[in-house]
Amino acid sequence: MRATTTPPPSREPHRWRNTARFRRLGLQTTPGRIRALAAVVVLAIAGFYFVANIAVGNARDGLRVIGHDAGPQVLATGDLYFALSDMDSQVASILLTGREHSPGTRQQALHRYNQDRATANRAAIQAAELSADDPTDQATVRSILDGLGRYERLASQAMVLDAQANHPAGPPPRNVIAVYRQATDLMTQELLPPAYNLTLEGGATVREAYAAKRSAVLSGRLWVALAGLAVIAALAGLQTFVTARFRRRLNLALAVATLGLLLLTVSAVRLLSDQAAHLQAAKTSGFDSILTMARARAISNSLHADQSRFLLDPGRADTYSLAYLDKSQAVLYAASRNLGEYYTALGTAIKAYRANPRAVRFLGFYGDEARAHPGPAVTTLLSRFQQFQTDDQRIRQLTGAGHDRQAAMLVTGHSAGSPGYSFDQYDQAVVSLIVRHRGTFDQTIRAGDRELSRSVVGNWSVVLPLAAVGAAVLVAVGIRARLVEYR
Amino acid sequence: MHGRRAGAAAVVALALGLSMAACSASGPPSIVGKQTLRIGVKEDQPGLGLRLPDGRFAGFDVDVARYVAAKLDVRPDHITFVPVTSATRETALGNGSVDLVFATYSITPEQATKVTFGGPYYVAHQDTMVRAGDTAIRSVHDLKGKRLCAVAGSNSWKRVTQALNIAAVLAPAASYSACVAMLRDRRTDAVSTDDLILAGFAAGAGPAVRIVNEPFSYERYGIGIRKGDLSGCEAVNRAVSQMYLDGTAAALLQKWFGRTRLQLDTRVPQFEGCE
Repeated sequence: MRATTTPPPSREPHRWRNTARFRRLGLQTTPGRIRALAAVVVLAIAGFYFVANIAVGNARDGLRVIGHDAGPQVLATGDLYFALSDMDSQVASILLTGREHSPGTRQQALHRYNQDRATANRAAIQAAELSADDPTDQATVRSILDGLGRYERLASQAMVLDAQANHPAGPPPRNVIAVYRQATDLMTQELLPPAYNLTLEGGATVREAYAAKRSAVLSGRLWVALAGLAVIAALAGLQTFVTARFRRRLNLALAVATLGLLLLTVSAVRLLSDQAAHLQAAKTSGFDSILTMARARAISNSLHADQSRFLLDPGRADTYSLAYLDKSQAVLYAASRNLGEYYTALGTAIKAYRANPRAVRFLGFYGDEARAHPGPAVTTLLSRFQQFQTDDQRIRQLTGAGHDRQAAMLVTGHSAGSPGYSFDQYDQAVVSLIVRHRGTFDQTIRAGDRELSRSVVGNWSVVLPLAAVGAAVLVAVGIRARLVEYR
Repeated sequence: MHGRRAGAAAVVALALGLSMAACSASGPPSIVGKQTLRIGVKEDQPGLGLRLPDGRFAGFDVDVARYVAAKLDVRPDHITFVPVTSATRETALGNGSVDLVFATYSITPEQATKVTFGGPYYVAHQDTMVRAGDTAIRSVHDLKGKRLCAVAGSNSWKRVTQALNIAAVLAPAASYSACVAMLRDRRTDAVSTDDLILAGFAAGAGPAVRIVNEPFSYERYGIGIRKGDLSGCEAVNRAVSQMYLDGTAAALLQKWFGRTRLQLDTRVPQFEGCE
């Protein structure tokens, strides 16, 4: 072993090497240069750690917001909306039936009313828990529950008056309608809007988090790759200097550190690629469709209620049938100027879709859904929606011809051939699509979580600092033996 | 000194990467972040959007627009109000001559296919205005065979003759102010549109006209935004929520319609949703 401090003879000494600053840093001596190079390496490692930590943090934040906060919030508030809206639907149904309920139908509606109330309470509590860090949202949920208490009082009052009136199927007496109007206005103007707006807000939060976090993860991946390369280059530089200066083959500690960082960089880049892919899949294949279908379910339930209200309250029949048309078109838009045209346009649109599911010629929620997930589930959904609309048409024809009683009996029935039955069938198709998208969503979120906490090399929040410190220690070990020679 | 050179190269590459990342944030143009806004409002609807003799605009729509613009961090003197009509508002948004529309713009499924709607910031109800002496018209169904004013680009007359299939005879007009003049001159028998619009005109027309007071629809006043500006739509919705939470909506409704007989709803409406 021959140690030397003279620079290689082939090189001319650079002028800057003689400057005062250069000498002050001790760079004119070999130990000084080794220390300086090692410092560069350690700084590069620190930089890598910094960059990788931010990128992995972004991936984790994205998964948390989409998968564990706003995503579930959309589902909880969607359930809340549905349960509330269905309560009002059941009340309308009870009032429409009057005394002509076949054995058990009134009990059945009351039972469902109570079930809805329990669901609403559960969903509200869940929504409040999920918005624990947002006082405004929590206040909104609380005010919905307060309003629900008032709604229940009005609804029971209407039902008691209705039972006293002992009327045949069809519109109840005026005093009942007056109380029901108060109840339904409270529901549709005070309770349902904030619930729906919470769902939309969850959707906006997810969209924003997705846009920001996914691009942050992708640019973080570039940074990690570059920082990793910088560390490896710096380590290679140190290795070259040490082996050349000391005429040695390989500094083992430095080589191990280099190899370790190479592995770490590659797996970090891969992790970030996977995370970006999971975020994308959770958002576009799962969440977007959950949101679309949750909104479609909410609006559908509210148009179903408008169907009963149209029969229940003749004074507002125009209002409720116009609202019914607007909501139907929001669910599936087929150009039409009134309900009569809508039934026809709907039939034509669905027929064309069946013939060629690739060419979706309608808009609205189901236009989006049919374009995103063509397949038998959507075809079933569309058929059932159409069946419900066909039954609706029959109801309106009956009322148009003065058969209010018959129409009321049909609407409130739950046997095959009644709109009540076809609506339940249709709602099941909506729910089964939500369940399917939820499956995709949960699966991608779980995969993302798993990779972040239990990847090949272990938990990233442990692996990263350990690897960085380990690499720095190896560098210290690697140069220490050489520096000792100068003591 | 290869190591150091490679290190320097890596630093340069990092800097390049940074600038690349900064450039990659793009998307459709949004109203979010704009310093100035051109806002389309009506110029002839008292109480909602009216151009005053001095050229300024005043009304509920104008005040709501100012509030929302402030929430978008646009200074009051950086707002330009541009008069639009029911017939021009969709085109004005499409060709970019206005950024936002607050012009008693009812959200309809058909319009929603062409325009992104923020809000609604208020839900009005369609009603009918007739001459005070005309007692034959007591509900919208009594318009059968009567002359009904039809404003170009408006959805209101379509609600009557198309959606409800009531065979009224259409009397075309360019605006609701023209309709009211026609009603007084007996060139039309009825003006059917949102109760807020009718209330504003009724206040000016005095005892010559009468509102039937049989509302028959939900007219959801949307904020017209260029199709696809989702972040703009979400920002606008947050501003509208805020307007109801902080009491501004109630105060503005009281300011413009407090003296009418209208039942004012001071609870935040159900939003249309941005996508």
